[in-house]
Amino acid sequence: MPAALHADVDDSTDSSAARNSRALNQFLAGVELKAFKIAQAALRHEDDALDAVQDAMLQLARAYAHRPAQEWKPLFYRILENRIRDMQRRRTVRGRVIAWLPLRGGEDEDDEIDPIAQAPSTEPQPPRRLELQEAMDALEKALGALPRRQQQAFLLRTLEGLDVAQTAAAMGCSEGSVKTHYFRALQSLRGQLGELV
Amino acid sequence: MSPVDESRFERAASRLLEQSLLHIDARTRSRLNQARQAAVAAAARPRWWRAPSWMPATGALAATLLVALFLWHRQTPGELPFEVSHTPEDVELLADSDALELMEGEDGQFYEWAATQSDNGASEG
Repeated sequence: MPAALHADVDDSTDSSAARNSRALNQFLAGVELKAFKIAQAALRHEDDALDAVQDAMLQLARAYAHRPAQEWKPLFYRILENRIRDMQRRRTVRGRVIAWLPLRGGEDEDDEIDPIAQAPSTEPQPPRRLELQEAMDALEKALGALPRRQQQAFLLRTLEGLDVAQTAAAMGCSEGSVKTHYFRALQSLRGQLGELV
Repeated sequence: MSPVDESRFERAASRLLEQSLLHIDARTRSRLNQARQAAVAAAARPRWWRAPSWMPATGALAATLLVALFLWHRQTPGELPFEVSHTPEDVELLADSDALELMEGEDGQFYEWAATQSDNGASEG
């Protein structure tokens, strides 16, 4: 192969790889905050949620980066969901083991309440902002109380904006199940929260 | 709950959830950013090395080669690939020079004669 042609092939490969890296970076930047919120709602632990999102990102990058970009979102949320489930199972097992131990140590350092973080802010909050904050807290609390599948269906549809088919792919169930879970979640939240702000 | 109410509730929930993203702290954002960079770097590495699909085939090939090498080494040079029995009779035959001469055919006529004698003896008896 002539040197010039060889260089062209290399250039096109490099530019294709760079383009793919950019697209992946853009995709992950677009989903990372929402994914964190979803993981946090399910795991109710910030560091565990971060770990779950990080693992999902790595797995998507390693195993599916070569797939068409439009497939990434359902794949990513499917991976994240599996990761969340694994963590929940591990946590359940750990909880059972700890419950059987005769002597329990002190409280987990992570669970200690930071008095500085708990101190009320000196900044005065405008009433509207306070109202929004309260509504947000109430919504997050109600979401946390939902059964896992309902919570997942609701967040994927409402926060991430996936359609029913994409949500079904991400949850690994039928579209009918997604509709059922979503409807029940909506009913339950509406029953608890009434009108949101 | 009417569809209109549902829709209004969904919109309000969506708006609130979107706003809650803005409240995610800097530490979390920084860690997410680091995780993203690590993932993008992992995707940029060559796939042939990451992809485990070639590993089973290579493993099977390596195992086959190992077994072949082992069998080949077990068979020392000059050794026949089949079992040769060395019974005491064979050793005596080899040690006995007269017997060797007989085997080489110098007294082949004697053996032919002896064979006919024993056949006749058997028919007569």
